[in-house]
Amino acid sequence: MSCHIDMEDKTEPEPVLLSKHAKNLLRFLNMLPARMASHDNTRSTIVFFAVCGLDVLNSLNLVPPQLRQDIIDWIYGGLVVPRDNEKRCGGFMGCRAMVPLTEDADVLACMRKYQWGHLAMTYTSIAVLVTLGDDLARLDRKSIVDGVAAVQRPEGSFSACIDGSEDDMRFVYCAATICHMLDYWGDVDKEAMFQFIAKSLRYDYGFSQELEGEAHGGTTFCALAALQLSGQLHRLDAATVERIKRWLIFRQMDGFQGRPNKPVDTCYSFWIGASLCILDGFELTDYAKNREYILSTQDTLVGGFAKWPQATPDPFHTYLGLCGLAFTGEPGLSAVMPSLNMSMAAYVHLQHLHEVWRAKSKEGSEDNDLAISSAVQHQLKLTKDGEAIATTTATTSTSPLISAQ
Amino acid sequence: MGDSSDDEYLGMEWIPYSERPEWSDVAPLPQDDGPNPVVSIAYSQKFREVFDYMRAIIACGEKSQRALDLTTDALRLNPANYTVWQYRRDILRELKADLNVELNYLSEVIGQNSKNYQVWHHRRVIVEMLNDASNELELTENALINDGDAKNYHAWQHRQWAIRTFNLYDAELSFVDRLIGEDQRNNSAWNQRFFVIKHYGFSPNLVDQELIYAMNRIRIIKNNESAWNYLVGVIRQSKYGYGLLNNHPAVVEFAEELYQAGNRSPYLMAFLIDLYQEQALQQDISDREQKARKVYGLCDDMSNKHDVIRRKYWQYVANHLKDQLNKSSEQAMA
Repeated sequence: MSCHIDMEDKTEPEPVLLSKHAKNLLRFLNMLPARMASHDNTRSTIVFFAVCGLDVLNSLNLVPPQLRQDIIDWIYGGLVVPRDNEKRCGGFMGCRAMVPLTEDADVLACMRKYQWGHLAMTYTSIAVLVTLGDDLARLDRKSIVDGVAAVQRPEGSFSACIDGSEDDMRFVYCAATICHMLDYWGDVDKEAMFQFIAKSLRYDYGFSQELEGEAHGGTTFCALAALQLSGQLHRLDAATVERIKRWLIFRQMDGFQGRPNKPVDTCYSFWIGASLCILDGFELTDYAKNREYILSTQDTLVGGFAKWPQATPDPFHTYLGLCGLAFTGEPGLSAVMPSLNMSMAAYVHLQHLHEVWRAKSKEGSEDNDLAISSAVQHQLKLTKDGEAIATTTATTSTSPLISAQ
Repeated sequence: MGDSSDDEYLGMEWIPYSERPEWSDVAPLPQDDGPNPVVSIAYSQKFREVFDYMRAIIACGEKSQRALDLTTDALRLNPANYTVWQYRRDILRELKADLNVELNYLSEVIGQNSKNYQVWHHRRVIVEMLNDASNELELTENALINDGDAKNYHAWQHRQWAIRTFNLYDAELSFVDRLIGEDQRNNSAWNQRFFVIKHYGFSPNLVDQELIYAMNRIRIIKNNESAWNYLVGVIRQSKYGYGLLNNHPAVVEFAEELYQAGNRSPYLMAFLIDLYQEQALQQDISDREQKARKVYGLCDDMSNKHDVIRRKYWQYVANHLKDQLNKSSEQAMA
């Protein structure tokens, strides 16, 4: 151990119970108890935590081939592809609450009015497919990105779906992940998106959920990751980056808190940790204390991590706890790509898909919608260790640098 | 991840929809979860039935009082179902329902689900439809004070929206002052204070008043990040003083006195590090080296004694300043 603090500590560090966590996550893929019915609409996020968690644990081999296929098929079953006369609501649903079991064509047609893609479900669904090695061939990328552009608000923010949703930084992030993963930005207005993010930088240099709300660790991650994924991170000037880093670094107590003067919580080891990775500052944190806190929320009996010690573990905190540990180089865990929140291995697979698509659009017809996309020039180049280098020529915008609000 | 327990809402007198004569004309419509579903939820009998009827009603587009009541049952079982909320709004519009009744219903639902995004969104849409936000300050005050979570993000967000949209700033500063008085570490309240002050504009008088306010709070609790962030935030945001710490001598004096008196709060130390760094980087200052040494000394103290968890960060801050000074002296020589 090179860390000077640890040398005084004679006790063995607590082990991460890798196989228990894997079994814990695997269980969630099968059947969930009735008490989780209020998560009905976000079932695909539970698939995401379980599948991506198993991936980070290097344990996807525990998912039998049939179950793997069932997951892929179930995810694709949530795909909404609007017809020409319908709203641009393309994307994935996170559940089947609006899908009726009937052969009556009128009933099926009627229910379509309430079947909409949802940005968070679209993001997690695509991430699951990529993690499982799917080639995304069953996706109409244009229809999905049309759906993303359709929920962008004039002020640059995004709603989750075409009707009935609030708009805020969470969906700005999801929009950026979807366009980045599909290597296509279509009609999404990146400049307006940047302006919304810039307006949400607070006086203490964290980002708020929207505009003048309180700075928050989760939304700061969403803001920074969206900037990186859209090739706009370089638009933050150096002084601003240093102040954001300060706000993030100050969130560490032992584990990390989400806001000043709030209790620490396992999930912020990811949100704050990933934000610092994006700004190239994670190595400035105290790894041992971070690990110690995350491990104090480990359930040694059934596996999984909780938000607090002695609390009940859940897939959300289990996955984010594992990612938080992965940033510190925990043995047995694979590297995590911070801004997409998936394993580096999955990200490498995604980059391979991008190469294939780009080659195809080059040799393909000139009238291919995706070929005329400017997305190709706007992409981030990510090195293997996750360090992001935005191409300096990426944005055509001349807007001023970001300033706190 | 919370659990849903429907019994406490629905009581013991529950009659299944299949046994209700007024619903005998409706054939329940089951969910199609595909041939081999994953993450299946073992829905309770009640949950399954209510949503089977919900689907049947949505499929035929019925917008009636009984459909409205059905959404009430469905949303009690799963308040996160955003599609059902949207259908409920479609019904309310169609029936031209009394939206004040809806507001009362929502006050109750928000009381039980104050951290659910969908209920707050529904509230916002209904208030917009009514074009009347006269109940929103009281509603959010209840969520923040009576329900025991004065940092509830949803409640603050809704409150800000109502204040901004309907120009309800008048009494907000005293509300915020009350919350800060109750808990000086309530960062949400400090943020709200900034929101209100910014609305009034950072005039020199107002800036000075706010700096005094923050310093007085820090005098009571010195190790409070929220108050320090507010203090620095006000300085940086106001054009008066050009956003520089050094241009507010009363604050500089306040901080240096605290330090002289022996206080070593990391937030005070961080302020001084920023202050001396700012001074060191000012081109025309003659004692640049002396200011820089102060920064290095404070960073060392932080790393070794007062903020050990951030030791790598404070070393980085010191090195960063060294780099900046080297760069600027190279530029001066060139």
